Amino acid sequence: MLAIDVGSVHTRASLFDVVEGRYRLVATGRAATTAGTPLLDISEGVRQAIEQVQSVTGRPLVDGSENLILPASSSGAGVDLFIATASAGPKVRAVLVGMMPGVSMQSLRRLADTSYVEVVGEILLTDRRREEERIDVIRSARPDLVLIAGGTDRGAGQSVLRIAEAIGLALAMNPEEEQVRVVFAGNRQLGQAVTEVFSPSVPVLHAPNIRPSLEVEDLSPARQRVSEAILELRSARIIGLEELRQWSGGHMQLTADGFGRVLRYLGHIYDPRRGVLGVDVGASHVMLGASFGGSLHMTVRADLGLGSSLPGLLRHADLEDVQRWLPFEMPLSQVRDYIYNKSLRPGTVPAEKDELHLEFALARELMRAALALSRPSWPRAVNRSGFLPPVERILASGGVLSRTPRPGYAALALLDALQPTGVVTMVLDPYNLAPSLGAAMSTLPMASVHVLESGSFVSLGTVISPVGRAKSGRPILHLRLERDNGEVTEGVVRYGQLAVVPMGPALHGRLMLRPERGFDVGFGGPGKAGTLRVFGSSLGLIVDARGRPLVLPRDAERRRDVNHKWLWDIGAVE
Amino acid sequence: MPDIVAPVSHVTPLGLIRRERKLPGPGTVVARLNEKVLASDVIAEGELAPSHVFLDLVRGLGVPEKDVARYLLHQAGDRLEAGELIAGPAGVGRRTVRAPAVGRIVTFQRGRLLYEVRGKPIGLRAGFPGMIIGTDGTRSVTLETTGALVQGIWGNGRQEFAMLRTVGGAGERIRSEQLDINLRGALLTGGILDQASTLQQMTQLTVRGLVVGSATSDLVAQLMRMQFPVVLTEGFGEIPMNNAAYALLTTNAGREAAIDGRMGDNFSQQRPELIIPLPAGRKTDLPEEVVTLTPGTRVRVVRPPHAGAVGSIRELPAKAVDYPSGLLARSALVELEGIGTRSVPLANLDVLL
Repeated sequence: MLAIDVGSVHTRASLFDVVEGRYRLVATGRAATTAGTPLLDISEGVRQAIEQVQSVTGRPLVDGSENLILPASSSGAGVDLFIATASAGPKVRAVLVGMMPGVSMQSLRRLADTSYVEVVGEILLTDRRREEERIDVIRSARPDLVLIAGGTDRGAGQSVLRIAEAIGLALAMNPEEEQVRVVFAGNRQLGQAVTEVFSPSVPVLHAPNIRPSLEVEDLSPARQRVSEAILELRSARIIGLEELRQWSGGHMQLTADGFGRVLRYLGHIYDPRRGVLGVDVGASHVMLGASFGGSLHMTVRADLGLGSSLPGLLRHADLEDVQRWLPFEMPLSQVRDYIYNKSLRPGTVPAEKDELHLEFALARELMRAALALSRPSWPRAVNRSGFLPPVERILASGGVLSRTPRPGYAALALLDALQPTGVVTMVLDPYNLAPSLGAAMSTLPMASVHVLESGSFVSLGTVISPVGRAKSGRPILHLRLERDNGEVTEGVVRYGQLAVVPMGPALHGRLMLRPERGFDVGFGGPGKAGTLRVFGSSLGLIVDARGRPLVLPRDAERRRDVNHKWLWDIGAVE
Repeated sequence: MPDIVAPVSHVTPLGLIRRERKLPGPGTVVARLNEKVLASDVIAEGELAPSHVFLDLVRGLGVPEKDVARYLLHQAGDRLEAGELIAGPAGVGRRTVRAPAVGRIVTFQRGRLLYEVRGKPIGLRAGFPGMIIGTDGTRSVTLETTGALVQGIWGNGRQEFAMLRTVGGAGERIRSEQLDINLRGALLTGGILDQASTLQQMTQLTVRGLVVGSATSDLVAQLMRMQFPVVLTEGFGEIPMNNAAYALLTTNAGREAAIDGRMGDNFSQQRPELIIPLPAGRKTDLPEEVVTLTPGTRVRVVRPPHAGAVGSIRELPAKAVDYPSGLLARSALVELEGIGTRSVPLANLDVLL
């Protein structure tokens, strides 16, 4: 199986094959994405990424005419399955059209938050605009996508149709070269009538009602239609996307959808009472997904990202918020200059140590912002406390995290930004495989399962984060780790400490935790002790006893020292 | 190693320059093919944000919906003057419906007529002197000229055409004291802008444009508010203008130049730039847009250390290089002017052509 993921900065090719009865990642290749100017054609980046895989494996994947060899030949050339995902492309401008502010419009906003769209306007039945004013809104917003919802199934429909007619008139005035898609996810009895309103100039994609009744919200099918519309719109503007779509047998997916599928799968296989969290810090988007019992809550923020979208962070965080994570002094003006320069040249990399620290500081604030924006859509049952609910696993990916020179940088950034509670395993996806594996799940589910369980994902470590309050330095947790090789480590963790217990990737062990009264590590309440099976990792076992919420020293010099100490504690610096 | 395609910035002393100018929506192209135009010439006319109004012909004429079409005097697409008769007279009262303002009929259905009221008229200017070599007749015009071209990385969205003047060196801060009455109405070029007071002084002098290597990012909001165009060649902070661009701009001081501060996204050809129209004694070609890195390619470093430094590639080692940040990156050995040979990540280079 060959998988291509076309990101906004990098295009990755990953080749998977069966080794000893299980699918394994065999080779990866990475090249700069060529979706933007001057080429506006992803083919060059795809070709280079595949060429790297060919040169590593010696296995021909494309023929002399640069066509994918599909299926594989008896000589071993080519592949049997091709998977394509993409997040590269211009922002998709969307206008939301709903009936009630707290019902269909709220659901539409949540729908828009799950994909690569930028909301440029909203029209509501109750907004008191006249019909012609609604036309003016559409004409000046120049949307690529119009998302319409409203009306419960078998409910009244005339008002939905009246608004649709005004929008249809506005879109009919567009020049022919301006392509628009409409996704209708309202009262399902109106489907045919809505298609007629927009016919023949604007194609309508239909999805089941996102609010079939006032009490029920179902975004998943509409999300799929939105993804299809985005891929169609981008394929019309970027050369090569359509060819990838054909190579993949028409099953190309958006990167966020593939990522979400993996999270949903992991949410199914782990303890349904605890969730799985995934975060991807890309150049033009931050994706954050949480899966609780297989139900996925995905957020894709096009206004956040460690590249072209970076200045958007300043709407959610101050420069001081970024600066506070630095282990050295850097003027705010320099932080701001960096933000703007990185947005102008998203593909550049930090050569200097200070710049690397700054990128990780920015990544922390990007993840914090995405988490804060995402949590309101999570189920109330897991969202009761202000802290992150206990999750089984945190899956992290994206340029800055996966390119980390030492795993400690990524681990500390995740701990600082997400502040997990209880016991959680943090996993890094260094080759950005998750979207491809998610996309392959419907065609070749075993490949995805095997690779997810393989060493292609780097375990950063099992983290124990006791929740409670105490004076700094007070003992709060006793732990005993019995490794399978017979080695035993026993000790006391004090409040404020960030400790790492060495335990190499090949090791397993039994971990006994006995928190002090008032401290909860997830064994059913404060002070409750327990035992669990743990696995080794590149860092070992991490005990984050710095408190929740994490409070940094007010004094700038002390704060810098503390940041440096934590980096040292977790093995990011020597 | 596969070919490496790098981003290109043009700093071209003389070349063929072709640019498309486009109205925000359909309008009328007034320039003719092969016509020579000046920078200030209007080449197309259009309108901004037209508004719409529904005219209820059933009520206006006092006739049933099925009969309205009989009284219509115009059809969709017709342009009308304010007060011009649209439909009628109908009935004993000889009732009529008239155009509420200058505009056009969009559509007519179910007894109602959608009328587009003309928005604020706009004239699309050529921006630089050149020849019209293409048009779609309604919205876009392609112009061509020969001249020098300096492309930037950031702009504030405005355009102007004025005489180019130099203020200070490539790495010097522009100070208010340097701005005297002789620079009134000029397009200024210099090294670094870091003072809001300098911008205020420029406004008072009715400066018509500014090209600098860099500006500190605390000035972003103010730069966006400036009535004159601003273009940065290197980015934000205190980065000197690259020597190639500075030399080209100072050589052409005293000439008229077109400055365009419009930013496109990564998917449009639009880039902030400065065009200095020059006569071409010989045949010139369009500059290349896609360049593969090879030894000898002239490049610029776009990130610290050495941001803004220009040099030529000496070697493209196959092995990745370890940097102080701890990152391993594919790199080029670059002979940087005045600095020496340094390893630079390929991702941190752009080609200067």
